[in-house]
This record gives sequence, structure tokens and C-alpha cells, in this order.
Amino acid sequence: MRFLPLLFPLALFSYTLASQQHTNNWAVLVCSSRYWFNYRHMANALGMYRTVKRLGIPDSNIILMLADDAACNDRNKFSGSVYANPGRHLDLYGDNIEVDYRGYEVTVENFLRLLTGRLEDSVPRSKRLLTDSNSNIFIYLTGHGGNEFLKFQDNEEVSAHDIADAFHQMYQGGRYKEIFFMVDTCQANSMYSKFYSPNILATGSSVVGENSYSHENDYDIGVAVIDSYTHYILEYMEKVNKTSRLTMADLFTSYDVPKIGSHPGVRSDLFSRPLGPQHPMASYGRGHGWKVEGEWTGREQEPYKRDREALITDFFGGVVSVDVEGECESDDFSYRPASEEISKPSPPSFNPSLSSHPKSSSRSYFDSFPFLRASLAFFLLGLLFAFAFGGRISRR
Amino acid sequence: MPPVASRFRDPSTIFFQNDSVRRCIIASYWIIIVLAIPLWWKTTSIERLGLPTSQVYAEAEKKLRIPLSICLDEIFIDEVAKVMTGFQDTAEYLDVKVTAGWECNQSNSSSDYTVAWEDKLEIQDRTLYHPLSGSLTNTLKSLLAPQIDPRAAQYAPRYRLSFTLLNEDGSAGQVVNGWDIQEAIQRHVSPITSALSMLHNFTIESQVQFHAPLAFEPQSLSEGAYGLTPEDLTVFVNSAEWTLSSSSSNDPVLHFVLFVPSAERRPLRILNEDGTPSTSSAFLIPQWGGIVILNLPSPSSSQDESPSPSERVRLTADDLRQSFGAFSRQMTTLLGVPKLPPAISVSSSSPSSSSSFSTPFTHWQIDTLLRLRTHENIRRSQDTLRSTVKVVDEIEGMPVGEEVQNQVRGSLGALKHVLEILSDDGNTQLTATPNTPTSQYLSSLLAYSARALTLSSKAFFNPGMLAMLYFPAEHKYAVYTPLFASAMIPLVVAAMREVKAWMKERKEKRAALGGGGGEVRDGPPEQRED
Repeated sequence: MRFLPLLFPLALFSYTLASQQHTNNWAVLVCSSRYWFNYRHMANALGMYRTVKRLGIPDSNIILMLADDAACNDRNKFSGSVYANPGRHLDLYGDNIEVDYRGYEVTVENFLRLLTGRLEDSVPRSKRLLTDSNSNIFIYLTGHGGNEFLKFQDNEEVSAHDIADAFHQMYQGGRYKEIFFMVDTCQANSMYSKFYSPNILATGSSVVGENSYSHENDYDIGVAVIDSYTHYILEYMEKVNKTSRLTMADLFTSYDVPKIGSHPGVRSDLFSRPLGPQHPMASYGRGHGWKVEGEWTGREQEPYKRDREALITDFFGGVVSVDVEGECESDDFSYRPASEEISKPSPPSFNPSLSSHPKSSSRSYFDSFPFLRASLAFFLLGLLFAFAFGGRISRR
Repeated sequence: MPPVASRFRDPSTIFFQNDSVRRCIIASYWIIIVLAIPLWWKTTSIERLGLPTSQVYAEAEKKLRIPLSICLDEIFIDEVAKVMTGFQDTAEYLDVKVTAGWECNQSNSSSDYTVAWEDKLEIQDRTLYHPLSGSLTNTLKSLLAPQIDPRAAQYAPRYRLSFTLLNEDGSAGQVVNGWDIQEAIQRHVSPITSALSMLHNFTIESQVQFHAPLAFEPQSLSEGAYGLTPEDLTVFVNSAEWTLSSSSSNDPVLHFVLFVPSAERRPLRILNEDGTPSTSSAFLIPQWGGIVILNLPSPSSSQDESPSPSERVRLTADDLRQSFGAFSRQMTTLLGVPKLPPAISVSSSSPSSSSSFSTPFTHWQIDTLLRLRTHENIRRSQDTLRSTVKVVDEIEGMPVGEEVQNQVRGSLGALKHVLEILSDDGNTQLTATPNTPTSQYLSSLLAYSARALTLSSKAFFNPGMLAMLYFPAEHKYAVYTPLFASAMIPLVVAAMREVKAWMKERKEKRAALGGGGGEVRDGPPEQRED
């Protein structure tokens, strides 16, 4: 790793700065699949959209990239709705869905341009990530992927290198304070393995060489409605409200491998703040169902971090503070949200019906496509042709 | 030859099997390939023009020192050293020069600020009247080198101010269908915008909306009032349903919202943290804008006639006085204008600030803001330039076009210009033109710094600088091999055969020249056994 020596002073530097609160929150939610049988990926993104909106990120600060061909698909029996659970309790497409990049606009280029801010002047504000160095950004990706890549609409791929470079450019351009990166795809943990910019916390649904699975099917809709990892994340997020003091450690330790069906990973070595109280996080990845301990990168640094703990609401919140102004100038005061924990579960939720439906694999068929073998085959074919016909053409 | 072969034509009689024709055909393929290589190279390579890297690093290292001279009254002569060190500690970007008494005139340079002795704390133009008691250093520091307000928006040369009147529910009760916005802006906003005209270029837009629901239920209080808790305030803006600004340009927007609650939710009050109603009806969202809640006085007549049709109200400029007073204060905060220390009074005797409407700010505030913003801009453009060359260095697939190159150079030029003005002794600059007021000098600095900032960020965010998508080596083989391997092999083999045949021919010819020339001409040259 040639960036490691570079990172160390940066990390030290950020330790001193991080204590200052961020001032705004942004979310980038990307569903990189299209077509009806990828219904669940759209439901993933819309479920996440509902959650970040519920926790207070305004629509103007959410960039939703969605093929959006599920709700009004001819095959959708429940036209105009997208559900994430078999009981169809909660319509995720209900009201006020603002899709910023729709259909064929969901491309790798647009995604990278959005992140780096290198957009044409004609692009409207709603399609821009107008962040600054005080912004916390939550980035969620879902779709079909493989080792170090994520497929966009069966057409192109974004690689882990591309995203890492984009994040680095964002860091250099002062476009974020902290990033929380979450990805739900096959071999998802490889997507964050190439990051090298500071203040990024990343988590993924499955280790390299492992698939990410869908959660359940709805027999009326006829397809899988949500992915397992996202389902349990959303279920957990229902416990969180705007004033909640739950930490990232609480979220990560809620991962349950036998339920999710894959081994989620965490990467915190680039992140300068502790994830939460040491005791729950200390046993992360070591309990029942965890095969290996390698799913948490940055475990060693964790006890040495001294700063505010990373709260879930740091990445899923709205305006952090407002100032109530008095009638005369002198008596205004600044306000910080109250800090007691109220974790009342809200009524509509991603209720786990915990039925053991057959898990359909969402493994990509382009997964680790044997390019070398393919090219070798072509090469031999060419050689064969050459010897078979070359002589005849050239001589007799 | 076997008899069967007689059915076929003798290859030597086919015209394209003629030696020279065949060789021409094969050679033409090769010529096209060779000619195409530069074209292929040009179309697949990334344009990466050089950036003035070393210059950027050199400029980015330089520290900004804005000259500032203060002349103290003789009575403060003991304070000189204290003031100097006080500034050095807090504001590194200022090059403060303090003189006292007769030294002021001796140095033959008009000082920017003077401090005179008086029994009251007062400022008039660029003169501060300070009593002997109290810390002069602290007063000067809070006047000239305050911290920039964290609630202020980042500097931009252009701002849009968007004023919106929102009726929560325009279908029932009293509805505001008009406001004297022109008049109100004239009275409350124009003084600020004209005072800050050397910093920013403002565009103002306004609108009235009749349906602006809240995204949450306000808390019901006793005696029919409704309350907004501090948590509610953070989610007050319902950006999904309120369109608060036109998207006509990408300039940053400062929003000012006058919210009229619906008839059944009046009065709507802001609650303190302990749940008691606050006296204030305005709040500010950092870097975003300000919101004022306007509770219309409930008309006494409509109390008994419950199904009253919606009553239209037009707000006059006098009705808006309080709300726009709050807006102007919020705007001052958002634009980062430093506040005067509370103890200081402003003398109105000076001609420039004769009426408080024409210039709401003192010279001290404007000058300080100009310095703060110049400092911020220089620092940001240095950072952006450094980041640009760094990113281009680190990411190999990143194209750098002519536009980027020019923007980096332009920004660097503006930056150099600012630092040059400053480095060749600000005082000589001032003494050379004693009539140049300080504010003019500062505003020219700001103009250059803003130019440097704009160009550097344009370079960094140039749409052409999108790095090529990452391709692993096996991707490249996979793309090129199927395409070229099958085409190249016959060509290579044919060329090799031809070369071999030609060499053999030459050898035979030479041998024949040595022995006897007649033989070769008889037999067709291609009669070889394969």
C-alpha cells in the first residue's frame, strides 16, 4: 500500500479536527439494477430512502439514483407501489418520492460526476451533491456485483478503484467531513477495500467470494422483494429516531450472520472517531456464525481513538442546529438537540415475518468473468483459422 | 502432375496470383495498419497537459499578510507593544503596525485607523474613542480580528436572496395573498446589499405560496396555542413540498421564509428547551437562511361565524417591519458581517453614516469583513490549486485539457497578484496614493482573491477532468485479443511466406546469374512443393 505512509499524518490531523460537529447531512442512494426481476434492489434503495427521510435528511439533500421501472412495470400487479415485505404492509413508493437520476441516467459516469462535482453547468441543483467540508454523507449502493466491481444496469461496471479515486477527489476538494459507505451486493466488502482517503467508515453485506442473498419472496408480486442484509439494516433503523443516541457500534453488532446469510464487514481504519462503546464492538465478528475475524478492518486502531463516538444520527440526521433569534440581537442562543435516548418503535416497520422462504441467490452471472480464458480461446481460434485458410489464401 | 489437376486452372494464369499483384495486396494491408497506429494511439491516449506544479506548490506555501496600521493617541503609548503582540497571537494574516503619538505623523503614512482618548467607547468613521480604563487590545482585537461566524455562508461572488411568503393553508381563514415586498426590501434589505456591494453581487427573488403544509404536527399547548419544540425546528423546512427558490442558476441561495400558520393552528409559537413559549418568532438555519413565523391577529368578527370564507389580507410594509427586521439581522449573520462589541456605540455625527438606513455597518465592520473574506478566499484557492495538481498527479487516468490548464494559470496569476500587492509593502502602496481609501484598497484585494477562488474551483471541478474508468490489464487483453489476434495471424503468416519466397527467389536468381540465366525464366517461380 503506497498510501499508508501518507495516511498516517492525515489521520493524526483529522483527530484534532473531528471534534467539531458537522453542519449538514447528505445521502446518495444508488440502485444500479434495472428490470423487473431486480425488484428487490429498487425496494432496497427505496427502503433506505424512506429511512433517511424519516430521520430528517430533507429531500433536497438526498440524491436518489433509481432505474425506477418497478413501480409502473406491466408485470407489477400492484401498480404504482413498491413493497419490501411479503405482507405488503408499507408502500415504499407511496408519496413524495423524488428520484433525481432515473432510468438510463443511472450510469457510472453520472455517479462519479455526482460524487466529484464535475458536472456541466446546465445540470440543475437537484442533481448535484452540493456538499462542503462540513457535510456528512451517507452513500448506499445496491445491485449486482462481484470482486471489486458493481454492475450498472447490465451495461457497465464501476470498480472499487473508481469509487476510491472519486472519494479521494472529494477529500481533496473539501466535499465531505465524513462518509458512511454502505454496499449491499455480492462480495460487497471488496468494494471498499481500495479506499485510501481519511474519514470514511464503510460497511458491506458479504465477504469476498460470498454471495449476498435476497430475503423473501412475495408470491403475489412474484419476485424477491428485498435483500437480506438491507432488510435487517432497515429493521434495526426502525429503532432509531431523530434524537437517538445509538452508535455505529450498536448497528454493526446487530449483524446476525445466520439470519443475514452472509458475513457483513466493517472498515473503520480510515475513520477517526470510535464506533461506540468498546464492549459490544470488541466481540464483533467473533460470535456464533462468524467464520473468520477478517471482516472488520481497523479493529486494532479502535481502542486508541479518542473522540466523540460515531452516532447513527451523525449520518442519518437533518439540520444539526438552529439558532432561535430574539427580538433584540443580544439574547439569541444556540441550540443543540437534547441528548436523551428515546427509542420508541414507530408503527410502520419492516417487520420480520421470519419465514424460511427459499433463498434465491443474487449472484451475478458476470461474476469474475473469465476474461483471460475467453481471450485465450479466441486466440487459439484465430490461430486455427490462420493455419487452415492462411496458406490457401496466400499461396494456392 | 496427376491428371485430376488438369481440371483446375494453372494458378500462374490467375491475374491476382501474379507475384507483384499479390505482394501489393498484402503490402497494402500492412501499410494501412502502420498508418493507423498513430491514429489509434492518439484516439486511445488521454490528453494530459502539464500543470505548473512547482509554481502551485510555491504559491500555496505563501502566507497572506494584510497590512493594517493603527495610530494611537499619545496617552496610549504604553499599549503599543501589547496591541502588537495581541494581534500576532490571534490573527496571523494581519500585518499590524501600531504607532503612537508623534510617530504617526513622522512615519509619513496615513494610518488606517486612529484611536483617540475620550471618556466613552465610541466609533466614528475609522476613529475609535476609547477610555483609559478597559483593555484597548481586546477592543481592537474584537473590532479588527474577530473569528468568522460559523453560521455564515461560505464566500461566493454571487448570491441569490429568495424571499418566500408561505401560507400553511390558503383555503380557509385569513390568507395572505400579497405583501409589499418591494417596499420592505427597499427599507430593510437594500441598505445591506448596497453596503456589501463590493463583496457580493445579489439577485433577489420573491414569491407567495398558498399551500405549504408542515411535515409534522406541532405540539398543542394550553389556551389554544401551538408550539414548535427545538427538535421540530430542525425539521421545519419541508423541502419536499415547498419550492423555495427557482433553479434558474447555480449561485448559492440564502432563503428567507415568512411562514403564516393556518387558521386552526394560530398562534404558533417557538418553544424554549424547557417547553415554555419563547418571545422570539424567528430562527436561523446556519448557512441556509432564516425563518420568521407570522401569526396574524385573529379577527374578532370571525370568532362567532365559524364557517367564514377565506379572508384575504395584504401585508403592508409596516406589517412586515418586524419580520423583515429579523430577516435583515439573519442576513447580516449569514453573510458573516462581524458584530460590534456590545459596549461600543456608533457616533452618528459623521457624514457617511448620517442616517442609519444608508449604511447599516461601520467602516470597521466592512473593512474587517473584507479582510476576513480575502483571507478565506486566498486560503481556499491555495488549497484548491494544491488539490488540483495533487489529484492530477495521483490519478494517472485523469485527463487535463487546455481549459483546466488556463484556469489553473489564471487562478495562479490572480493569487500572485494579491500576494505581490501585499508583499511590496502595503504602506508604500498607501502612501503612494494617499487618496486611496482603505476600503478601496481592500476591495481590490478581495476582487483578485475572489477571481483566484472562482478560477481554481472551476479548474478543480472541470467536467472534462473525469478520470477514465479503471480497466484492469485483463480487460484490455479481453478487448483487444479477439479483435486483433484473428485478423493479425493470417497477415503475419502471409507476410512471412512472401518474405521467405522473395528471399529464396533472390538466392536462386543470384545462383542463376552465376550459372546460367535461362533456366529461371522457363519455369513459373511459384512451382515449389509445399
